Amino acid sequence: MYAAATSVALVGGEARPVRVEAHVGRQSEAFKLSGLPDTAVREAKDRVRAAVASAGIRFPNRTVTVNLAPADLPKGGTDYDLPIALGILAASREIPPLRDAVVVGELALDGAVRAGSHAFGAGVLSARQHVPCLVATAVVGEAASIPGATAYGVASLADAVDLLRGGLGTVEPARPDTPTSEERAPDLADIRGQPMARRALEVAAAGGHHLLMHGPPGSGKTMLARRIIGILPPLEIADAVETAMLWAAAGRRRGLVVSPPFRAPHHTASKAALVGGGSGNPVPGEVSLAHRGVLFLDELAEFPRSHLDTLRQPLEEGVVSVARRGSSLDFPASFQLLAATNPCPCGYLGDGRRPCDCRPAILGRYRSRISGPLVDRFDLIVRVGRVEATDYSGPKGETSASVARRVEEARAAQLARGQINRYLEADDGRESKAARRLVAMAVGNAVLTARGGDRVRRVARTIADLEGAHQVEEHHMAEAVGLRGEWRDE
Amino acid sequence: MNDPRVIAPNEPDYPVGLHDLEEPPALYVLGVTTTAPAVAVVGTRKCTRYGLNLAEAFGHALSRAGWTTVSGLAKGIDAAAHRGTLQGQGRAVAVLGSGVDVVYPVENTDLYRSILRSGGAMVSEYPPGTRPDRWRFPARNRIIAGISSAVVVVEAGVKGGALITARLAAEMGRPVLVVPGDVDRAASVGCNLLIRDGAHPVLGVDDLLAELELILGKPPNQTLPAASNIPATGLAIDDLPSIWGCTPAEALARLARMEIAGEARRVGDVVIPGSG
Repeated sequence: MYAAATSVALVGGEARPVRVEAHVGRQSEAFKLSGLPDTAVREAKDRVRAAVASAGIRFPNRTVTVNLAPADLPKGGTDYDLPIALGILAASREIPPLRDAVVVGELALDGAVRAGSHAFGAGVLSARQHVPCLVATAVVGEAASIPGATAYGVASLADAVDLLRGGLGTVEPARPDTPTSEERAPDLADIRGQPMARRALEVAAAGGHHLLMHGPPGSGKTMLARRIIGILPPLEIADAVETAMLWAAAGRRRGLVVSPPFRAPHHTASKAALVGGGSGNPVPGEVSLAHRGVLFLDELAEFPRSHLDTLRQPLEEGVVSVARRGSSLDFPASFQLLAATNPCPCGYLGDGRRPCDCRPAILGRYRSRISGPLVDRFDLIVRVGRVEATDYSGPKGETSASVARRVEEARAAQLARGQINRYLEADDGRESKAARRLVAMAVGNAVLTARGGDRVRRVARTIADLEGAHQVEEHHMAEAVGLRGEWRDE
Repeated sequence: MNDPRVIAPNEPDYPVGLHDLEEPPALYVLGVTTTAPAVAVVGTRKCTRYGLNLAEAFGHALSRAGWTTVSGLAKGIDAAAHRGTLQGQGRAVAVLGSGVDVVYPVENTDLYRSILRSGGAMVSEYPPGTRPDRWRFPARNRIIAGISSAVVVVEAGVKGGALITARLAAEMGRPVLVVPGDVDRAASVGCNLLIRDGAHPVLGVDDLLAELELILGKPPNQTLPAASNIPATGLAIDDLPSIWGCTPAEALARLARMEIAGEARRVGDVVIPGSG
């Protein structure tokens, strides 16, 4: 006797259907599992047997064979418990056939269904294939929030059995989750002084531009970076789902959160942790966890050069290819890069009030780590100056909410044109003559490199958007040049 | 570039100051000679970043004020002083311990060329082609002291050329101005010794210019254009909006225009006058 259920695998952060086939034969009692399961899936046998017993249903004392297909999809985690259990019960005619319903969920030994990591994936397949899905009650709202999905929550295996015996048409599907946002995002009002850095952060947020901050230790570079989340526009639901699924593929839970993700990997992180990889099923790295959000690299000069080089592809293409045996897998990785660095190993170069003690040779080596090609990837480079003691007692800065309003309007203008300015290829023919002349002079006088000139033009477009201007004027371009301060190899 | 010339002590364009030496040597010169009063900026090769910044700022400010600057084309403070002078579009004179056509150290080749191109000069008592032997360098210090009207020591250890230059200058009656430093920093010990022995402590760029004007009078030519309304000591970039009375956005735009025009340059937290 045979039955099948559909479940979900995440490949490159995308949901793919997995067929869970169950067969109950006539031979003596045995439980076989095939289809390249990982350890967690192999252990499903024990959980399923216990959960079925706890639900008060007889587990067939025959040969039970379960196969997960196609075999070449990576199948990991505990989400296959429920489809395996229901597949077996359908094959032994305890419940009606599942038809094409998508089923995900981990089983506890007492029969309870726990939230796995594939709720969003189940919702996506449900919507795409016009079939219902069964998800743990705790997270069914996530599946239901996919437009077009029909999701049913089940709290236990017994619950699922009752639901299927009664027929799915007889109950109401679950309601979608309300999107949530990061409530504890720190506020820009905490930053006193730092007018130039604040402005740079606002422009960076408005255009999604990559921003490099340099300055002495304690000047507030990290504080500033963490506050960008509070001024970035919220994610679209589809983007929030995409991000959550990437997180799920990395084994991390992220509900229907519309705050853009903010990832700040430490400079000791491995290359695999940064860009993805792993020995078995490839797992997305920090660049993909930061997809649609911000990747913050604090102490940029401390990151190994080889690690920084791997950022090139995601920065250029918005995806990262993770090599596997004989093939490679693409994960989305379109992020805004924020970075902070001290100006020199001792931190006080250019401070003015405290001398830098670095020996020139050591200084040169440090500065050259953040050199040409890497620097050219930043649209904005701003010096975050030391904060005077008097600034701490000064008035509070403008709040994030107030800055966010301007950012949102500037973003709307960009999206109306089709894309955010980070991805602007060349100028869109809306630069005044004076603006063009200014950037040409800046390149001619070696204030900017040629690549820097291209970066500056994108930023100028964003500054014009912040002002609601149709055309990029000279003063927009001049400010953009001002926001690309020096970082020379000394 | 022209060939080196040799100037004998009895010739009219021989630097007057060198007559204070016991045996004024004939001088080989590459580049443009002048009798304009000069100020030497010297220091150790084993300097700190702080010293480098100061030497560069001194070279810049002195040349903007109209002084010719003299140094020894060595690594560290010497090179920084030359660089600052070039940035200030001033006249730099380098006194070498080798022939004037021998660049030492090699890493200063670009600097050597820039000095000659910008109307400065290479000076040496050794004939062209002379190799940079170690023992020649202390001797060249007496030329530095001799052709300068004053000597500024930025950083100096207990031993080394900078201290020798300062002592020789003092013996010849030249004012010696010295940057004080941390008592436990190797690159400042020599400076602090000089101050204990009576050298004038320099408390900053403006102090240096004021002191020189007091001792030597106004420098001969004040025709260089005032670069901008940015003082030589610089302005904190984050203070620009309040100083200029505008928004940060406007201040950034204005700063960029000044940079493009060569009127301003950012160095760390501050903006200083540019070289154009």
